[in-house]
Amino acid sequence: MADSAETARLAKLMRAAQDGDSAAYAQLLTEITPVLRRTVQRQRWFAQPADVEDVVQDILVSLHAVRATYDPNRPFLPWLLAIARNRMVDALRRSGRRAVNEVSVAEYPETSFEERANTSEGVYGDPEALRRAIGELPPGQRRAIELLKLQELSLKEASAKSGMSVGALKVAVHRGMIALRKALSSGS
Amino acid sequence: METSQLIHELAGRTQPVRRLASPWQRSAIWFAISVLYALAVILVQPLAFKQWQLETRFVIEQTATIATAVTAAIAAFWSVVPGSDRRWVLLPAAPLAVWLAMLGKACVGDWLQLGWAGLALGTDWDCVWLAAIVGFVPAAAIVIMLRRGAPMVPRTSLALAAVAVAAFANFAIRLHHPGGIGITILAWHFGMVALLACIAALVARHVLKWPRVQGVMRG
Repeated sequence: MADSAETARLAKLMRAAQDGDSAAYAQLLTEITPVLRRTVQRQRWFAQPADVEDVVQDILVSLHAVRATYDPNRPFLPWLLAIARNRMVDALRRSGRRAVNEVSVAEYPETSFEERANTSEGVYGDPEALRRAIGELPPGQRRAIELLKLQELSLKEASAKSGMSVGALKVAVHRGMIALRKALSSGS
Repeated sequence: METSQLIHELAGRTQPVRRLASPWQRSAIWFAISVLYALAVILVQPLAFKQWQLETRFVIEQTATIATAVTAAIAAFWSVVPGSDRRWVLLPAAPLAVWLAMLGKACVGDWLQLGWAGLALGTDWDCVWLAAIVGFVPAAAIVIMLRRGAPMVPRTSLALAAVAVAAFANFAIRLHHPGGIGITILAWHFGMVALLACIAALVARHVLKWPRVQGVMRG
């Protein structure tokens, strides 16, 4: 792949792709995919084959998006590998962020077998009782529950919609949740 | 989606693309746009030509300022070309250093001439306002042009763009206000360049992003 004839051939295919030749483009992408796959695998950052394939696809889509930046007078491979390196670093950064925010568990508790996974199902399973309990809340707490828990608005959006301050909303939703919990557990 | 299917989709939507001009040409286009716009602003608010004293120090300072603008723009345009030499980002370092040195020299001159009073920091809101007007179109132009490239190093690209725009605006406003106390010019004019570069670097990842390909679903 590294020899100059091969590089010149890829550059020619890329030039044709820039001119709108879809067959040349398909050939180019097909030929560079194994190269990209090997480049990604060589880094050993991505252990799972699915992760490797995801990064390879990311590189292909990025190449497509910025194909106008290729200058046919310059070598093709340094251009391609610069994009590949950049996307690999971004993918690594993304997976780092995911690792921080996700918790790995060996086994997911099953709703039907694990008692603690059934809490909400068992206690708050009656939607009619929940609707009644919400209806019996004081107006401020009811509004806060509706906006923040049922409509899932952010505090800022709920504040803008209700005219209540963010602080008042926080207090109202907290008290509302306690009241609901109490009403539903006494009712069950 | 299988990779082979993705390739099929990408190839299927290939259309001729207009190749990006070289960073040299793009810098020249940006500079031309900026100069034409600055001339239009100057026509609206004519320069105080009578105040001009073509002192060597002022000429060197202005030459370094405009050279900083041009070299920073060239470096910014190179930075959005995949596989380009990373050393391009150092291109504006020399004119920037000369510009800073000239401003520093003016401060020392004021200090020697006026004592500590020469280092009293004044305000210069007029220049900030004028710089905002003069820099508006060059800033919009360079951001639009950079977004056509690949965001290889977005923070560096946008910080270089900010240096280019701020230096260009400084060049124009120094033509308008050729005098001034050295320390005030150093703090307000050069401070503006540093501040803009920092802000640009902070927001860069939101401004220069990898373009999405419409309709391609992966995974």
